[in-house]
Amino acid sequence: MSAVTIALPSKGRIKEETAEIFERAGLAISAVGNDRSYRGRIAGIEGVEIAYLSASEIARELANGTVDFGVTGEDLVREGMAGVDRRVEFCARLGFGHADVVVAVPEIWLDVDTMADLGDVAADFRARHGRRLAIATKYWRLTQQFFSSLHGIQLYRIVESLGATEGAPAAGQADIIVDITSTGSTLRANHLKVLSDGVILKSEACLVRARKPGHDQDQRIARIVEAVRAAL
Amino acid sequence: MPLIDMPDFSADLLNEFASRRTERVNTPVIQPAEPFLDMAGEDLRRRIFLTENETGASLCLRPEFTIPVCLRHIETATGTPKRYSYLGEVFRQRREGAHEFYQAGIEDLGDKDIASADARAIGDATGILKALLPGRRLVLTLGDQAVFEAVVKALGLPFGWQRRLIHAFGDMAHLEALLDRLARPQPVAGLDPQITGMIASGQEAELAARIDRTMQETGYSTNASRSPAEIARRLKEKLELAETRLDGTALLLLREFLTLQLPLADAPAALAGFADAAELKLGPAIALFDARLAALANAGADLSAMTYRAAFGRPLDYYTGLVFEVTEAGSAAVLAGGGRFDRLLTLLGAKEHIPAVGFSLWLDRIEAARAKQ
Repeated sequence: MSAVTIALPSKGRIKEETAEIFERAGLAISAVGNDRSYRGRIAGIEGVEIAYLSASEIARELANGTVDFGVTGEDLVREGMAGVDRRVEFCARLGFGHADVVVAVPEIWLDVDTMADLGDVAADFRARHGRRLAIATKYWRLTQQFFSSLHGIQLYRIVESLGATEGAPAAGQADIIVDITSTGSTLRANHLKVLSDGVILKSEACLVRARKPGHDQDQRIARIVEAVRAAL
Repeated sequence: MPLIDMPDFSADLLNEFASRRTERVNTPVIQPAEPFLDMAGEDLRRRIFLTENETGASLCLRPEFTIPVCLRHIETATGTPKRYSYLGEVFRQRREGAHEFYQAGIEDLGDKDIASADARAIGDATGILKALLPGRRLVLTLGDQAVFEAVVKALGLPFGWQRRLIHAFGDMAHLEALLDRLARPQPVAGLDPQITGMIASGQEAELAARIDRTMQETGYSTNASRSPAEIARRLKEKLELAETRLDGTALLLLREFLTLQLPLADAPAALAGFADAAELKLGPAIALFDARLAALANAGADLSAMTYRAAFGRPLDYYTGLVFEVTEAGSAAVLAGGGRFDRLLTLLGAKEHIPAVGFSLWLDRIEAARAKQ
């Protein structure tokens, strides 16, 4: 029987908080070799391996099905693959790593409070400014789904932003942003406001399972899910 | 170089194009991605094949022909009217079917006689399909955004509401959401009372000045895309539009209009009856609708195989009037789709207004239909 692989965040608070939950769940993780090793195992269950990866790689490996479980932010998983609910199962929400993916516009846009307002602005943006409304984000997929499918807004352009997205409107790189926020303080500091119906996703760290054939019959899979759920 | 995977009826198709006095054009398979994303929106991004050149410019595999043909027309500046035809491969990520397949079609640019150019596009599409699928029963569905625009205008809605509804035309879910808002207006919440006060007392310029000061103070003004005046004006418009309520009768009329679906030959009488009963003046849009129908009848088109569906449209801002689709009776596969796109050429950079109508044929579906004989 092949090993069950759980991909866990390799650093930061999310790594520590994951370790605490696994500990409470009776799935204490021990490092293979030394403490800084990127491999681990779970005491008491045979054939379970831990792989420490970066949070965004975990989403990618789940999409590829090269790992069985992963702990990472829901935002990264939903952004990272099409048809997400067919390919993975969100087994447990872990109660940390909270962040909302939101649509934020300049505070001074007094006339824009809802997505419908933004739709109006986008519709005649080109006529007024000679180009489409530009959105800075690293969340291409979530933005498209939210704007196009949910709100019928088609006419905008995405400007890829890999960091300091909140600065894009003031720097003239884009008109508005789609980004994560936990307290909203960075948005406020950059004079941006979240639209009243502009929360795309309330994300947190989740235990995510790649839907793979064979999981149904595998005792280890069910045991891990139950143990983590019971520890919450 | 002959392409060996071309549909076996390609030669017939090219003969049809020649006998219909079109000029066959080709466009590169690798196209700049910008115009497609700009015209059709970001949603297209996941349906096309994107790549980059070494300077980082976005390129894509040709996802359709209309935009490349129009761009080529603008670049070569050979004047109008022009009738272009094309036949070649297009590339799209689709849930069903191959990712690369052949399309062919005609783009009719610059003919100022709208009704007859519309009728000719329909005649060309159905004529070619009849030749390729002899003996099959083909049915055509026709829509006309101009008629919807006329209805919305005649209902006396403020211009901002007309624009919203017209923009949503073709997207029924979006349209329904707008009609709900018109039925139950929600007051604008969360505004600073001082600002509402300024608008109520007509101090739009003062409001713009206030917005300008805030922009200066927050260091936003240097790169601001929307100006203080634009924000102040739209805020005023928003407050006015939020109070617009469409009474029950008018809403019912609009909904009734959107459910209209009937044989094309009966549509003029039905539209006239609708306008009379609703006491709406639909004017030029109806005149054009009737003229197009007359042109179709004159050209000997089989009107009995044509249906008018009032809600049929495409929610893209460059479509302006006629849209149509042809299928085989009893099948959902669209064999030909077309429409009028009078705004596209100016959006793509043409200096003068160029009315345009065209259609494309889905050769893989036509091939499948031929194989079913």
